[in-house]
Amino acid sequence: MSASEQRLNTVVPGSEQPDPDDAPAEGIVLRLLLGTQLRRLREAAGISPEQAGAVIRATRSKISRLETGRVGFKARDVDDLLTLYGVTDDQLRSRFLFLAKQANRPDWWTRYGDLLPDWFETYLGLESAATTIRSFEIQFVHGLFQTEDYARAVTLLGHRSASPDEIEQRVAVRLKRQDLLTRPAPPRIWLVLDEAVLRRPVGGPAVMRAQLRQLVEVAALPQVTVQVVPFARGGHAGAGGSFTILRFAERDLPDLVYIEQLTSAVYLEQRPDVEHYLEVADQLSGAALTPAATALFIEQVVKET
Amino acid sequence: MTRPTGSAATQKGMAMTSDQAPSDGGHSPDGGDASRVRPLPFDTSRAHQARFYDYLLGGKDNYEADRAAVEAQLKIFPDLIFTARANRAFLGRAVRYLAGEAGIRQFLDIGTGIPTAGNTHEVAQAVAPESRVVYVDYDPIVLAHARALLTSSDAGATEYVDADLRDTGNILAQAGELLDFSKPVAVTLLSILHAIPDSDDPYAIVATLLDAVPSGSYLAISHAGPEFVSAQTREALEDTVRRTSLQQYTVRTREQVARFFDGTDLVPPGLVLVEDWRPDLATSGTAKSSMWCAVGRKR
Repeated sequence: MSASEQRLNTVVPGSEQPDPDDAPAEGIVLRLLLGTQLRRLREAAGISPEQAGAVIRATRSKISRLETGRVGFKARDVDDLLTLYGVTDDQLRSRFLFLAKQANRPDWWTRYGDLLPDWFETYLGLESAATTIRSFEIQFVHGLFQTEDYARAVTLLGHRSASPDEIEQRVAVRLKRQDLLTRPAPPRIWLVLDEAVLRRPVGGPAVMRAQLRQLVEVAALPQVTVQVVPFARGGHAGAGGSFTILRFAERDLPDLVYIEQLTSAVYLEQRPDVEHYLEVADQLSGAALTPAATALFIEQVVKET
Repeated sequence: MTRPTGSAATQKGMAMTSDQAPSDGGHSPDGGDASRVRPLPFDTSRAHQARFYDYLLGGKDNYEADRAAVEAQLKIFPDLIFTARANRAFLGRAVRYLAGEAGIRQFLDIGTGIPTAGNTHEVAQAVAPESRVVYVDYDPIVLAHARALLTSSDAGATEYVDADLRDTGNILAQAGELLDFSKPVAVTLLSILHAIPDSDDPYAIVATLLDAVPSGSYLAISHAGPEFVSAQTREALEDTVRRTSLQQYTVRTREQVARFFDGTDLVPPGLVLVEDWRPDLATSGTAKSSMWCAVGRKR
């Protein structure tokens, strides 16, 4: 890190945590914060992940998972790593240890744990901790904006053999996620949709019309922006597929790109990868209809559905 | 004092160059000469003023080239961070003054930039919720950020205009859909006029905007000046900007900046550095911003 970057990014772990009433600092984001700081310390000390792993009896990939917030830290491991990285300041050490303890709190979705793959639990935590959610969708209406019927139709597509109970539980998780739209200090949500999302009548025309009307309603919330890229605009920068960029309040936390696949999900957090997606998101939002024109466009699609 | 702009005009990605002016140099009287204006290309390989400034203010909407340009300029001019923050703080105090003491309810903010904390409509609507703000930027992507993030209070209104400062006719026509030009308007041109070279006649641009608003309207400007930077530093900075940045700059002296305010009476303390314009707290630091500013009331 250069000298000026230090000036721009002077964050001491634990010193800039948001007020718990403002934005819930979920365990995952605390782990991510802790992991990011530990990675910086490790790199500054010129220590490889293998060397760090050896000290806490872990593999290189375990270190990587720790540093990217995927798994929680044991206090003893944090203690050993800080020693290895040459951190001797007692106050600083105790702040790291406090953060490690805080980061291991359970989150709301853990009670759906049997149902949800780990990667999706991770996403739920990050989503509810984000201050800005920027998403591009080419297939389905974003989960945060789905009606119950649309959510059920999407769930059935993915779980044809699931019992009715399981389907209902999955739908319940989806709807529970939407609590973040109405909580105090909700995140900014900036969604760009391909026109295909509006035209594919998931669940049939009646379900789709209700879904589209809900989309217009949610888009009118002050913290929500929806833009459509119409077919008429031709090809676009996001042709590769849907993705979500999560941004966090903490100055020290980088943006995260989340890409869902059929059986897993990919998180990108290396700066060059993230910037590639930021560029695509920027280009898409420049190419898409304005929010005002989008509302009119969706209303027209409702008439045609 | 003024940097030559001719050499920069041929650089890749230069959207704002003098060579786009018609050869006869003829602007229409209302300045609405769209032929001089070409959309800014989306190019993240070079520093962009809005993203450069975003990084200086602690934002995350910037790319590697923007950060590299900040780093390069900081080495030459360490007060850059102070300058950016002082300019942003001036925006806050000036808009608070305009919405408060001056009683202005309509704002034309040209050169919006990437949204950060304390944007014009937030400051104005905190004082007077019914304030109406038109944001103007010539970069459609910066403007997309503004549309997504700069949303009005229910009592007031915000609108967004995609136009180049040189295209004053277009700006005024579109802003007129939200603003009532028979009532006073505050025109804010913060840290933007130095992106207009002399060949594009920035004085005529400002005069056209002032002509469109009634007596009792206000003009707020901040503008980079050369006085507090040594010739050597200035040359090094110009060289760095030329190599790294999409937009080039023309610094102007205090006297040259004062000319923008022809036809207005300056509000006390007059034309000063941004950190000295009605500061909230007495400043004791040694940093100096190199950014002139003033607020004038149209006669």
